[in-house]
Amino acid sequence: MASCFRSLKAVLIDLSGTLHVENDVIPGSIEALNRLRKSGLALRFVTNTTKESRSFLLSRLSSLGFDIKAEEVFTSLLAARSLVESLKVRPYLFLEDEALEDFQGIETDNPNAVVVGLAPSMFEYNHMNRAFRLLQDGAHLIAIHKSKYYRTKEGLSLGPGPFVEGLEFASGQKARIVGKPAPDFFSTALSDVGVKPEEAVMVGDDVLLDVGGALDAGLQGILVKTGKYREGDEGKLKQVLNTSFVVSDFAAAVDFILKELGTQK
Amino acid sequence: MLPNYTVNIMAWLRSPIKGVMLDISGVLKNGNVAIPGSIEAVQRLRKCGLKLRFVTNETQLSRHDLTEKLRRIGFQLHENEVFPPAPAMVETLKGLRLNPMLLVHPKVLIDFKDVDQSNPNCVVVGDAAEHFTYERMNSAFRLLMELKNPKLFTLGRGRYYLEEDGLCLDVGCFTTALEFATGLKAEVVGKPSSSFFATPLKDMGLDSSEVVMIGDDIESDVGGAQKCGMRGVLVRTGKFRPERDENHPNVKPDAVVNDLAQGVELILSSESFKSLIKHE
Ligand SMILES: [Mg+2]
Ligand SMILES: [Mg+2]
Repeated sequence: MASCFRSLKAVLIDLSGTLHVENDVIPGSIEALNRLRKSGLALRFVTNTTKESRSFLLSRLSSLGFDIKAEEVFTSLLAARSLVESLKVRPYLFLEDEALEDFQGIETDNPNAVVVGLAPSMFEYNHMNRAFRLLQDGAHLIAIHKSKYYRTKEGLSLGPGPFVEGLEFASGQKARIVGKPAPDFFSTALSDVGVKPEEAVMVGDDVLLDVGGALDAGLQGILVKTGKYREGDEGKLKQVLNTSFVVSDFAAAVDFILKELGTQK
Repeated sequence: MLPNYTVNIMAWLRSPIKGVMLDISGVLKNGNVAIPGSIEAVQRLRKCGLKLRFVTNETQLSRHDLTEKLRRIGFQLHENEVFPPAPAMVETLKGLRLNPMLLVHPKVLIDFKDVDQSNPNCVVVGDAAEHFTYERMNSAFRLLMELKNPKLFTLGRGRYYLEEDGLCLDVGCFTTALEFATGLKAEVVGKPSSSFFATPLKDMGLDSSEVVMIGDDIESDVGGAQKCGMRGVLVRTGKFRPERDENHPNVKPDAVVNDLAQGVELILSSESFKSLIKHE
């Protein structure tokens, strides 16, 4: 049988819902990650976090028992920071304190850009109006991602997406989305290891952000049935996903990748 | 280009005008300040016997308080000439036997005093301004996600309006946010909804072709009025922005005038209006 992968050189891996759910490791993930490392494939961890800085993520992952280095982690927060730096703009930041660490050293006086992450304490009229007036004056609108809502202990809660959408409506300006599923997000993570999209596969639990986004960016995508996965999610894709690319969990994804890698050689 | 433009300017004055609907914010006043010439312009319309109604998406004040506020600024008008969304919303809720969760400004609550708000089975969003908090948005969102037949109403869908200190976000921003989160489409009670314009039209006893609507919102005022057969005139006051509003992709005003005073002057000096007066 021919390999499903033309010439695989890198694996992008989602964190929450794929390796762990909050403070619980998804069974088998730690060992599977170690096996994957031995294969020599380049690994990058790509996540749409907007509340947690990279150092916060790393300390949680290591306390759970994962062996992951700082330079391997790509977050949408850091992607927003690099966009802010490359545009040379001064952002008005919709971010909670935990996340501000990743923006240390960025000039924020007299803002000429609006960066929206998950910031419940700022999603109220006065901050929204301030952002709107900046947009009227020509500021860029940057969304860390556009998730509609997320799950908390108290139930569903509004994510940044609705507030980004509201600002887009009022200002007539389309936001630039930096996290998954933006193709740039995947390609930046890959260019860091010198790998082309067609030489990489993304593993994640979010069918649209992880798998759909990866396919749009020219990667392959493997959907794991953990985390936020719900039965039939693969049917939401506009692209066709071979059933062998839908697996029970991260350990099964690694088995699949390693088996295909064997047939590739 | 110029001759064509002149023809267009005249076209809206050719058929008889028997009534005028006026938007309030951005046409009569900005914030608490009358727009120069507008107090006199309203008086001139009254003297000439034209029927007059004030049709607004204002939901930061009750109908009564809004009327009082305009009187204090210097306008002469009666509460029953003012048509804001809240009373229309109350009628809709009663007709459908719905209990709302009200995401509105506290000052407009009095208009909803006879509405049962226990066990809510729909959400009504108004211009709550600084009362838009994450907690209130989230409660509305959770209710809409829990309901078997969720219904979302919005008192207008404006993008922004002008206050004394600058442009301010209007209800549309927050309604759009809830629509995006829930996947629902909100029903608009207010301009530009045709059924909202129908009430003041009926009250005037005029056909829509006999009425001109004057406003500073190209979509809610001009677009909405044109959709139900009125002429829609845009003023260059309030939130008006030439680069955006004079080349709107979907709405072409019947006329663009500098302000209400100029619009009224044009109406009263038009041949069709003068001949109407003569005949009566
Ligand atoms: Mg995930
Ligand atoms: Mg107005």
